[in-house]
Amino acid sequence: MQTYLPIAEVSINIFLLLLMGGGVGFLSGMFGVGGGFLMTPILMFVGVPPAVSVATVANQITAASVSGALAHARRGGIDYKMGGVMIVGGLIGSFFGSMIFTILKSSGQVDLLISLAYVLFLGGIGGLMFVESVRSILRNRRGDKPKVGRRHRTWVDALPFKMKFKASKLYVSVLMPVSIGALVGVLTAVMGVGGGFIMVPAMIYLLNMPIKVVIGTSLFQITFVTASVTFLHSVNTQTVDVLLALILLIGAVIGAQLGAKVGLKLKGEQLRILLAILVLTVCSKMALDLVVTPDELYSVTPAGLIH
Amino acid sequence: MRRIILIITYLITGFLFSQPVMAERMVTDLSRHIIEITSEFSGTQLLIFGAIERDVLLDDGARGIVVEGMDYDVIVVVQSARHDMIVRRKEQVGPIWANRDSLTLKNVPGYYAVTSTRPLNQILGEQDLKRLEAGIENLTINFAKPVPQAEGKAYRDGFIRNMKAKDLYNQQEGTVSVLDDILFRAILEFPANMPVGEYKVDVHLIRNGELLLSEQSPLEVGKAGLERLIYNFAHIYPASYGIMAIVVALFAGWLGGFLSRKMSG
Repeated sequence: MQTYLPIAEVSINIFLLLLMGGGVGFLSGMFGVGGGFLMTPILMFVGVPPAVSVATVANQITAASVSGALAHARRGGIDYKMGGVMIVGGLIGSFFGSMIFTILKSSGQVDLLISLAYVLFLGGIGGLMFVESVRSILRNRRGDKPKVGRRHRTWVDALPFKMKFKASKLYVSVLMPVSIGALVGVLTAVMGVGGGFIMVPAMIYLLNMPIKVVIGTSLFQITFVTASVTFLHSVNTQTVDVLLALILLIGAVIGAQLGAKVGLKLKGEQLRILLAILVLTVCSKMALDLVVTPDELYSVTPAGLIH
Repeated sequence: MRRIILIITYLITGFLFSQPVMAERMVTDLSRHIIEITSEFSGTQLLIFGAIERDVLLDDGARGIVVEGMDYDVIVVVQSARHDMIVRRKEQVGPIWANRDSLTLKNVPGYYAVTSTRPLNQILGEQDLKRLEAGIENLTINFAKPVPQAEGKAYRDGFIRNMKAKDLYNQQEGTVSVLDDILFRAILEFPANMPVGEYKVDVHLIRNGELLLSEQSPLEVGKAGLERLIYNFAHIYPASYGIMAIVVALFAGWLGGFLSRKMSG
């Protein structure tokens, strides 16, 4: 059953969309990641314009993350103060990200920006994840225990404007969470990702936040920042397709439930290697599209209109 | 009495200007004048049909219709409202392919289809085809700034390839059927990505390389129902639309979480 999407202005089979939402939801439930980094490229592969893909997935992540954030809030898994500081950064970042996006869209470079951002970030993160999980598997084979000890003082502790974060039991400079939030804001606006894959490691390794508040706080921040990106893209480029976001969400909610069950049966390292391979596959597909001589060198866009 | 005078006047003038006016008449219509793009829309067909009537003087002096030996040709051109379009060309920058140069095309249709009874160049001369903009290669395409000829042709060809690939430009010669030299019908395909707005449908009647008549009918393409609502909302009130999108997402997310909690016990 073909469904015409009002903003994307393409007609796509609704079952294919539900399947895509379900598949990405399944993987995100299994790996515990947001899935925006998979959903945006897949939408682009099936013919949704890149700008619409990015903005719509941001809208869909708002929906996906709010239920997660609420679940963590019930368990007391959110550091609201830290989350608030990171949201401030996120709002600034999303504003500038959306501005860059709008300018590049009118000069015809936004598709390139999206692809480059994906190749860069997915390649980096996927590579790191892969190396890290191979190492930890080897370590487990040898029977080594990862070293646990007092954390060392780093350059992060030397930054000014320190603030107390009770829930995280931290006394750190606000500059760090603000900049992490801002980077994630830019990525959300440009790539249509929640940014959890950057934020979670940054919160653990750079801020030394306790694991039990990391996921909840990042979901809390993602809810607000993706909402901000949804608003900015709606105003600047009119690229948010509410109908598409809703269809994807329905699939994602169902898929995530199944994925979470399968995820419980796999070991942490195995999961991370699989996720790394997935991330690297998406990354190489996008990299390949950039370097392979295109079949058609010319492309057409209506002038004056932003579509 | 008045009627008799009228008839007499008619007869006299008929004698004075004894050369009979042999004009064709053509009546055309579309299967519909409004195409609505709804959520089930996945492209559509449009039937363009019409009748040709030729008024001639018969042997016995009466006026009537003769159908033998008249080889009519029909060309149907459908096009959407014209806008400027930007054509971009990719070039290799280091290892990657990126958009480098671009040209703006002035006033080109976003949708253009032509169909005819026979190959266009057998129906009319090149000049007439150009004047009528009948045939994709006969479309007048002007650039916003002067461009060297070879460059212009490359961009023009690239533009047309793009539009053809999206099924927005198409040309089907020899698919208009004429029945008994009186009735003709043409079927045109519209893809799901057809632009909205005012279209015009031109029907040209030709015989022996001579353009006899041209008829124009309007066609309106618009989004309808939910599609129209969402599209208009997004473009007319973008800020409210953004807020609505956020509220819908928050509610749907909450509902999704609520339902899956219920279902998993």
